[in-house]
Amino acid sequence: MIDLNGLEVRLGNRIVLDGLTGSLQGQAIGLLGPNGAGKSTLINTLLGFHPPSKGTASVFGLDCHRDRAEVRGGIGYMPENDSFIGNMSGVRFVRYMAELAGLSVGEALERAHEALFYVGLGEVRYRRVNTYSLGMKQLVKLAQALAQGPRLLILDEPTNGLDPIARQRMIQLIKEIRQQGSVRLLISSHLLRDIDETCDEVLILKDGRIAALCNIEEERRSNRSFMELETVGATEKFSVSIRGLGCECACFPGGRIKLVIPAHIEARDLYVIASEQGVQIRRMNRRRDSLEDIFLRAMENESGRMAHVSL
Amino acid sequence: MSVYKHIYRAYAGKVTPVWTRVFVLARYGFAEAWSSKITIGLFTLCLLPPIVFLIGIYLANNPIARTLIGGRGPQGLAINARFFLNVLATQSWLALPLASWIAPQLITFDLADNALPILLSHPISRFGYVLGKFIALFASLSVVTWVPCLLLFAYQSYSSPLPWAAANLQIAAGLLAGTVIWIAFLSILGLAVSSWVKWRVAATGAIFAAVFIPAGVGGIITGVLRTRWGFLLNVPFMMTSLWQRLLGDPESARAIFYLPTGAIAATLVLTCFICAVMLNSRIRACEVVRG
Repeated sequence: MIDLNGLEVRLGNRIVLDGLTGSLQGQAIGLLGPNGAGKSTLINTLLGFHPPSKGTASVFGLDCHRDRAEVRGGIGYMPENDSFIGNMSGVRFVRYMAELAGLSVGEALERAHEALFYVGLGEVRYRRVNTYSLGMKQLVKLAQALAQGPRLLILDEPTNGLDPIARQRMIQLIKEIRQQGSVRLLISSHLLRDIDETCDEVLILKDGRIAALCNIEEERRSNRSFMELETVGATEKFSVSIRGLGCECACFPGGRIKLVIPAHIEARDLYVIASEQGVQIRRMNRRRDSLEDIFLRAMENESGRMAHVSL
Repeated sequence: MSVYKHIYRAYAGKVTPVWTRVFVLARYGFAEAWSSKITIGLFTLCLLPPIVFLIGIYLANNPIARTLIGGRGPQGLAINARFFLNVLATQSWLALPLASWIAPQLITFDLADNALPILLSHPISRFGYVLGKFIALFASLSVVTWVPCLLLFAYQSYSSPLPWAAANLQIAAGLLAGTVIWIAFLSILGLAVSSWVKWRVAATGAIFAAVFIPAGVGGIITGVLRTRWGFLLNVPFMMTSLWQRLLGDPESARAIFYLPTGAIAATLVLTCFICAVMLNSRIRACEVVRG
C-alpha cells in the first residue's frame, strides 16, 4: 500500500527523513517514534506537502509528489493539531470537506450527516465547531476524514488530549473501521497502547531513519513460547528434565524458572514431568512480548539502521 | 455509513473533476462573505450611487422631466466620458471598504483556525486555494463595480435619442477594463494582506493602510525629491490616471505629474507579484522550520 524507496526529505539544510526504504502492507499501520523522529514529516510527504529530495514515496502505486492530487483523493487525513473552520456548523464543515474531496453536493451532505452520526456527533452537528469540546473536535476531524470514503485513513495522534472515556470511544471507532476492511489505516501516536490495540503492523522511526518495521501479530506469535514458572520442590532436577524436552531454561532463586519452549511442547507436558518428579508448579505465566519491548529494543539500536525485530 | 445503523460504509460513487474543486472553495467563500450583515449593509451602500447616477441619466435624456424640476440645460447633465469616470471612480472606491471587509473573512478565519492542513490535504493545490478565494472576492466586488457601471451604460444607450452607444463604445470598454483591473488588484492585495494578519479587524485596517499609506509616502517623495515618480506609490492617483485614459477623458493632472501608462502597469504588476510572494509564503499546509 505504502512503498518507500530510499526516501529522503530535507527541510532547509536539515535531513528529516534519511533514506527510508520499506513496504507497508498492513491493514492498520502504526507509526511510532520519539519527538523529532520524522513521523509528521513522513505523513506530510505522503500527502504531497513536502517534496522528497531523494528517492520516492508512493501510495497505492502513485507517486506522492508527482500524483499528489490523485493520492490525496484517496486519503482521509485527521491532523494532530486543531484544524477546522470554527464558525461553521459541524455538518457544514464536514460537507465542505467532502465536496472538496470530490463528492457531489447531495452526496456530500448525506455523507456528512452519516459521518457525524457514526462518530457520535449526530446530536450536535448543527452547533458551530468552535463551541465543541476538545474530544468533539477530535471526532469532527475524524468525521471529515471519513465522509469522503477514503481508501487510506491517516490519523495523526487521534487520542491527543482525550479523557479516558473519549479515548476508549476513539479506539473503538478505529477498531470498527479497521474491521470493516475497506479502508487502510496509518496511525501516528506517541501512545504505544493505542498502537498496540489498533494496529497489526508498526513502523518505528528514530532520527529520520527506520528503526524497526515489523508485524505486531507475527512478533507476538513468535514469542508465545516465553514462559515463567514458580515451583516448589526439586527445581534443579525438574529443569534438567524439561531441557531434555528441548526447552531452553534458566533457574533462579526461589524456585523460579524461565524457559522458552519449542512449538511442539504443550504446558501439559510440563505438568506431567512435574507430577512425576513431585514438583509443584505454583504459578505459570506465559508472557507475550509487548509493543513496548519492541519499541525499546528499536530505540536501543544505536546505529538506527533498519532492523526487523526478533527475540 | 448509515444514520440509523451507525456503521461505516465506503463511498463508491462518482467524484467530480479535480478542476471543479476551485469552485467549491469559491462557492463556500462567497457564501461565507455574504452571510455577514455588515457585508449586506456595505453592498446596499454601494448600490445607492448608481441609483443617483441612474436618475441623472434619466434627467439628461428627458427634457420634460428636467423642466419640471427646474433643472439646468443639457450641458449641466452631459452624459459623457467624464460622467462615467465619476461613476467608475465612485463605485471603485466604494469597493475598497467592501473588499477590506470580505477579504479577511475568506482567509483570516482559515488561518486563525489552522484549517489549511485539512483543506490542502484534499485534492486542491495552494494555487487552487488562492484562486478559489480570489474568485469569491472578485465576484463579490463585481456586483458593485462593473455590473452597475455597464448597466448604467446600457441604460444610457437605451435612453439616448441619438445613436449614442456606437459612438461611445470606448467608454463601455474602459468601464469594464478599468473596474476589472481595479477589483483584481484589490482582490489579490486584500487576500495577501489578510494572509499575514490573523486578527480580522486589524486585517481590514491593514488593507486600507496598504492603499493609503504608500500614497502618503509617495507624496513625501514627490515633494522632497521634486520628482513625479513618487506618484507611482499613490494608488488613487495612478488609478484615476489609468481610468481617464481608458475612458478617453482629458486628464486633469498637470503635465509635470504625468505618469506613463507602462509605468502604471508595471507598478500594478509588481505589486501583484509581491502579493503573490506573500501568499506563497503564508498559504502552506504546514509550517516548515528550516534548520
